[in-house]
Amino acid sequence: MSKVVEISPTTRHEGHSKLVLKVNDDGIIERGDWLSITPVRGVEKLAIGKTMEQVPKIASRVCGICPIAHTLAGVEAMEASIGCEIPEDAKLLRYILQCANRMHSHAIHNILSLPDMYLPGTDVKINPFTKEEPVRSVALRIQRLREIGQTIGEIVGGEAIHPSNPRVGGMYKNITPRAKAKIYDLAKESRVLAQEQMEFMIAIFRNYQKRDWAEVGGVEVPIPKDLGYHNQGYMATAPVYGSSSLDETPMWFPERFTEVRPWDWYMGEVEIDEADPNYPIGGTTPVGTKAWPQMEACTGVPLYDGQPVEVGPRARQAIFKNYDEKGTIGLQIARQMEFPETAYGIIDALDALDTSGSVLADEIPQGDGSLGWAANEAPRGTDVHLAKVKDGRVQYYGMLVPTTWNFPTCSRALTGAPWRLAEVVMRGYDPCVSCATHMLVIDEDKRLVAQKLIQ
Amino acid sequence: MLFREIVIAGCGNPLYGDDGFGPAVVEELQKLQLPDNVKVVDAGLGAPHFLFTLMEDAEVPVKKLIIIDIADFGANPGDVTKLRPEDLPPGAYRDAHSWDLSEPLQRLKDIIDITIIGCQPKRVASHEFELGLTEEVEEAIPKTVRIVLEEIGVEYGAAINHQGTHLWASPGETTGDAGKKPGEQA
Repeated sequence: MSKVVEISPTTRHEGHSKLVLKVNDDGIIERGDWLSITPVRGVEKLAIGKTMEQVPKIASRVCGICPIAHTLAGVEAMEASIGCEIPEDAKLLRYILQCANRMHSHAIHNILSLPDMYLPGTDVKINPFTKEEPVRSVALRIQRLREIGQTIGEIVGGEAIHPSNPRVGGMYKNITPRAKAKIYDLAKESRVLAQEQMEFMIAIFRNYQKRDWAEVGGVEVPIPKDLGYHNQGYMATAPVYGSSSLDETPMWFPERFTEVRPWDWYMGEVEIDEADPNYPIGGTTPVGTKAWPQMEACTGVPLYDGQPVEVGPRARQAIFKNYDEKGTIGLQIARQMEFPETAYGIIDALDALDTSGSVLADEIPQGDGSLGWAANEAPRGTDVHLAKVKDGRVQYYGMLVPTTWNFPTCSRALTGAPWRLAEVVMRGYDPCVSCATHMLVIDEDKRLVAQKLIQ
Repeated sequence: MLFREIVIAGCGNPLYGDDGFGPAVVEELQKLQLPDNVKVVDAGLGAPHFLFTLMEDAEVPVKKLIIIDIADFGANPGDVTKLRPEDLPPGAYRDAHSWDLSEPLQRLKDIIDITIIGCQPKRVASHEFELGLTEEVEEAIPKTVRIVLEEIGVEYGAAINHQGTHLWASPGETTGDAGKKPGEQA
């Protein structure tokens, strides 16, 4: 006889989401639904009629965590629609911005994951804010990596949080030789730190994998060897940057994408009949409360080839680097493996960058209403923006953000895990829920995506 | 340099009506020539984790932090107040990534002098995005800029009072919107 447990709200990520879990008598999840409860906001509607310069700026404000990914995907979706090729040096600057953003984001996610983990050889959980060694030096290294990522992002992007330098047609400004030298120094410093951080984190995750149990809210919970396993596919468009419909060989295929309503995918109305007041933080939802995931979920459910897919670090490693480790720990380790590449990526791009080169296209067409898309490999996964621009104004705009792709996939990955570890599985995906909220329901005959992308 | 001695952060989301107040004030501040030890940041929604959690161990120590945001303190729309971190309700500026729901400002307040300048909003959209500030909140921008400059000890009042269309414009003159002649009183 299965019981229902609800963890709401989930913690240690952006936005509001909850877990509704059907569990068996041993507390093992038979079916898990992870859903966003952040209200729908309709950025797509707001974008219509605005200029193509305004819309990426609006997209950047959708979320406090991923402004860089949304700016780049937004700008490139406009460029894809109008058919504008940007100069090489502008691409290199965007690449640097991408790597700097990933460096900061993965580092902050370490702070998010560490409290679930143990100091190797002990039963002591890690507190990333402790002033004591050995954790203090790790925390300082994480802070330094974040600071370097943010500083480089600010130099190249114009502002540290919502980048102002990227624009339709390239970038507003190239960087000065002095700024280039400064970024070099920072990237060289981060190269060493990123390597050390990767090795440390992998050791911590491997240690967790070897453990038999984890303590959650005063209960010792067995850690299954297949924690977070799922059989869904992966979707990624590049190891680092992304792809767009302007590419010679685009890596994302709109015709393979469909979306269903939460009603068709999530479980119906249930009543909570198991609760644990000691579960961190503040206990689970009390017994007797009703939950109705298919009505409460605020996102559509995007499918690729008719199935939910995983996006993010492991998807990138699996598709481009033959990485094959499944489960939550496999996903976490794949993320750490991207650390050094962020620093080397910046250095390689700087080597190729000509600071006196032009960073703006000679001609910026105003668009004829063709559909263009751009996928940016954000830290959390593929962030796809679609746009139609006509005479400089946006006629259609859509955002398919990483966590929206991961919601249904992670829900599948919960099956077989003890319910008290559901959040550990969820956090593996580095959720960013606030921008995962959108409602883009495509009509039955797929009119939107069936059009020829490049006229 | 990510930070300087004085950091002024405009917080809020322009996609939610009056919540765009902080970034709008920052936009005005960025037009001014401020001392080298001052950094003005449009923090948008990312202040807690992009700024506050990084300040503790920053390369350049921050001594003073001024946050500009909307605050519901039961006043008339457009009224402005000064708050200290002690006045904040639990949950304000909570970092989405904090693991124990700790509040970064409460950790920072012992090492950094923190002032929050709050403006009473009129309309904050809740479900659907909407751009633009209400008139009352728009009018609070110059006042807030003056308060910020006073906080950091910069004499700029005269310049702000005279951002008209010409040097001899008087305060409150329009910039010649459609249907009005330049210089006509608003």
